[in-house]
Amino acid sequence: MKRIGPFVLERRLAPTRTAVLGYSLLAIVIALLLMSIIFWAYGVSPVKAYSAIGRTTLGTRFGLMEILRRTIPLLLCGVGLVIAFRAKFWNIGAEGQLLAGAVAATWVALFSGIPAPWKIPAMFLLGFAAGALWGIIPALLKVKLQVNDVISTLMMNYIMAYLVKWLIYGPWRGPSMRGFAYTDLFPRDAWLPLLAYSKVHWPTLLIGLVAAVTAALILSRTRLGYEIRVAGDSPDAAHYAGIGFLGVSVWVMLLSGGLAGLAGVGEVAGIHHRLLEPDHVSLGYGYTAIIVAWLARGSPMAAIITSLLFGLIFAAGDEIKVTLQMPFQITNVFNGMILFFLIGVEFLLYWRVRFVGKGKGWAGKAGS
Amino acid sequence: MRKVILLSAVVLLLGLVTLGAEKIKAGFIYVGPIGDYGWTHAHDLARRIVDEKFDWLETVYVESVPEGQEGAIIDRLVAQGCNVIFTTSFGFMDGTLEAAMRYPDIIFAHCSGFKRYKNMATYMADFYQVYYLNGLMAGALTKSGKVGYVAAHPIPELKRHINAFTLGVREVNPDAEVHVRWIYSWYDPAAAKEATEALIAEGCDVFAFTEDSPTVVQVAAENGLPSFAHYSPMLKFAPDYVVSGQLVHWEKIYEDFLVKVHEGIYTTENLAHVDYWWTLPQGAVEMGADFGVPINPAWEDELKAYVVDHPVFGKISVYDLVMIRHSQFGDPGITFDPFQGPVYDRKGNLRIPDGTWPSYETLVTMQWAVEGVVGPWPGEPEE
Amino acid sequence: MGWESWIVDTLRRALAYGTPLLWGTLGEIYAERAGVVNLGVEGMMILGALSAFAVAQSTGNPWLGILAAAAVGGLSALIHAFFSITLRANQYVSGLALTIFGLGLSGLLGTSWVGISLRNPLPKATIPGLGDIPILGPALFRDHSYLTYIGLVLAAVLWFVLYKTRWGIVIRSVGESPSTADAMGINVFAVRYLCVVFGGVLAGVAGGFLSVEYRPSWTEGMTAGMGWIVIALTIFAAWDPLQAVGGVVLFGGLYHLAYRLQRWFPPEFLKLMPYAFAILVLAVAGLRKVRRGAPAALGLPYVRGQR
Repeated sequence: MKRIGPFVLERRLAPTRTAVLGYSLLAIVIALLLMSIIFWAYGVSPVKAYSAIGRTTLGTRFGLMEILRRTIPLLLCGVGLVIAFRAKFWNIGAEGQLLAGAVAATWVALFSGIPAPWKIPAMFLLGFAAGALWGIIPALLKVKLQVNDVISTLMMNYIMAYLVKWLIYGPWRGPSMRGFAYTDLFPRDAWLPLLAYSKVHWPTLLIGLVAAVTAALILSRTRLGYEIRVAGDSPDAAHYAGIGFLGVSVWVMLLSGGLAGLAGVGEVAGIHHRLLEPDHVSLGYGYTAIIVAWLARGSPMAAIITSLLFGLIFAAGDEIKVTLQMPFQITNVFNGMILFFLIGVEFLLYWRVRFVGKGKGWAGKAGS
Repeated sequence: MRKVILLSAVVLLLGLVTLGAEKIKAGFIYVGPIGDYGWTHAHDLARRIVDEKFDWLETVYVESVPEGQEGAIIDRLVAQGCNVIFTTSFGFMDGTLEAAMRYPDIIFAHCSGFKRYKNMATYMADFYQVYYLNGLMAGALTKSGKVGYVAAHPIPELKRHINAFTLGVREVNPDAEVHVRWIYSWYDPAAAKEATEALIAEGCDVFAFTEDSPTVVQVAAENGLPSFAHYSPMLKFAPDYVVSGQLVHWEKIYEDFLVKVHEGIYTTENLAHVDYWWTLPQGAVEMGADFGVPINPAWEDELKAYVVDHPVFGKISVYDLVMIRHSQFGDPGITFDPFQGPVYDRKGNLRIPDGTWPSYETLVTMQWAVEGVVGPWPGEPEE
Repeated sequence: MGWESWIVDTLRRALAYGTPLLWGTLGEIYAERAGVVNLGVEGMMILGALSAFAVAQSTGNPWLGILAAAAVGGLSALIHAFFSITLRANQYVSGLALTIFGLGLSGLLGTSWVGISLRNPLPKATIPGLGDIPILGPALFRDHSYLTYIGLVLAAVLWFVLYKTRWGIVIRSVGESPSTADAMGINVFAVRYLCVVFGGVLAGVAGGFLSVEYRPSWTEGMTAGMGWIVIALTIFAAWDPLQAVGGVVLFGGLYHLAYRLQRWFPPEFLKLMPYAFAILVLAVAGLRKVRRGAPAALGLPYVRGQR
């Protein structure tokens, strides 16, 4: 309990779900209001802007499909990061793990010789394995050699990006691409099916939803999940309970990296149908997923909602660029603001502010 | 009776004129930001020029569209009423083609690619002749015999440019070398700076580059070394050290294409063989440190003083050689091409036979390096 | 090319490229020593770069630009401080928000400054006497920016403050165990605020260096990920200002070598060299059981009355 002037702050143990939802919506509304000022400063009527976004992004099939398309990689990476963050393993490396999956998928599609009906399942399997592998390395480094996870996962992103560049400029450069840095186009049997008249590669979406449910079950019902939660919440208790950090970290990064790898498979087999410049493949999904996961507050099911939210923001950003002819940096400004307000209202979630006026209600007690 | 005929003729004429006078709304899709001072910046400059010039034209643009995302953006532009769409990056090729098939009533034009369709043309403004001219000058100005080149990505476009540049360098300075460093990015000032410094440490004293910022010019100038501007006028960044450069005029292509669309010459049916491969003669590119400054006057004397014994022209100063070659390029009957045979690659293989001109195919898929190029060359053919 | 000139050139370029890294890392070290992670370094750097360029170009005085950058960096750090210290929000996310916001805002506001060459970049200097020492002289003391020299001196000063003065003990105790520090009468909030803002000031200067000296002009996104390298280097340096110098020189040197060595090795592998090296060095340190621990309370909001 803390007193500031005529207010008293009381800590709440855990916010109610409605409070979380309500305050989060409040944050978004405040951010939208502030965005109106920016629109107005650019000579664009905020009403026109929001109605344009509402009309196309939310009001047309095209818009909704676009939201879904953006959500897919965010969902997969986001669920993976929820798992990692529960164990307090700061996986900043989802970008690299995504690329690892993309590389594996490319290999299956172009060079493996696996026959047609097995290609797509093989792509997903090997993509998961590649992402998992790329994620396990920092886990082992952390447990065995105390290498900080933030730095190792971050560095692995750069390393994987340059490996991809080496592949597309070198041994995997497609002969049909006239010397440009792309692999050949994947054969048709390696293309993921799309929802009609859209670019939504639904198998990946399905896998993402299944992953969210599975992750939620793992965390709440299995021994591994128990170990993950304890290791994250209370390392000392974990030690006493005999939970091996090696096991937990490796499992957590296997799942987290593998899921990001699946996202990479989806991007490369559903959207691009080839391997290309790494930043055009990962598009910052791995970093945005950090926010998606954090907002989900440890719940893989909630990640479905938060990834949809950011899918919407991505799609609306495109709309702003095209329809309103505003500079593209506007989406970053908006994202930054929304984040700030979301964490701002965090405060209101955990602290109850009571007005007690002068002297009343303050009995000098610490804690409440 | 005559009056009636006259009147109907006038009405008919007016009708025809208004028929062709449909409004055009053109959408431009850029892969980078318009503030990049390079490729995208130049396209956008050209867009604004044609937008102002023609009142039947309205343009919109979308910047920083990553490859793979162009399909969604095209959908939005079409929903907005665009009837012509320009996609300005090689990576947009398949997305543009797919959209062209989906929207048979919209006209598409794709820059720097090679796939076309009945409603999808291609266009490109290429620098290789200008690079050759710059190379002539670089060869004359280098005192150490090492010319530096900071390059973005090892793709045929750049390899063609570096090769043309090197051929020019060696024509006036047969023992000179062109040292290449790759930074793997179209825009990365820090990398460009470090690459230039590395080349300076190797002993290079004249610089050309492919990177969308004036970094190389500035770094070279800090060390008192001359350079050649790239893509946008960079004379102002180092007025004493920019000798010449490559400049582009995309508006020449855009104007030609859009006027033809407006007049009904180009339709949604006949674009399958429309490919602009425009170079110096068409005015799509220009040699210069700035518009209208082909050679920086501060360097004229040095170029005039450097005299070579040329196999074709005899004793001639490099300055005059550049001028002659420049006018040769403008000659409608092709009298010279930097890549005219015989041309050997740096492994000794004959790539362009004696007495032949390079074919479009050869130019556009060039993977080899000419003699005199020193440094890594990812994708260099084995034989 | 003699090996001497190789060493001189590499060290020179390492210092030049490393100057913004050094300033950024020193600032982040202080913030993290007080227990606050600031992932907003990239955002603060780019805002600093824009302000420095805008002010330097308008006034013709590059030093005013650096001052402006410092102020803007400090102000933006204040935002992060408010959210993460007062509102006790998640520090990682608050920092990320600052980066995203900073990148967007600078891109938005900077459109009119693109493509202009700075009239008056920061001057360089040579230290008389020291500049003539063989090998080390030309590498370290000749023809470097003032900010490079100041940065090196700053590293020594900050190391001294952190380990040999009472201020340093205060800061470190706040980062190790804020409740203990609080019980001893230290104002934890004030210390954290000061350190975070200090970190922002230095990050701003780092960004300003980029636009006013290293590459005197403004283009959006010109920090190109340097802020993330700073965060990595902070960990790499074990939160020690002097080790930061070593880390910066190592990283900068490798970055430069990646271009020198292109003649003999495939470029892509050379470019990933600095990042792989960072992991390698940390792994080796772990093998030798060198203590590289973070401040114990790093990343945790301090709440009085809680453990």
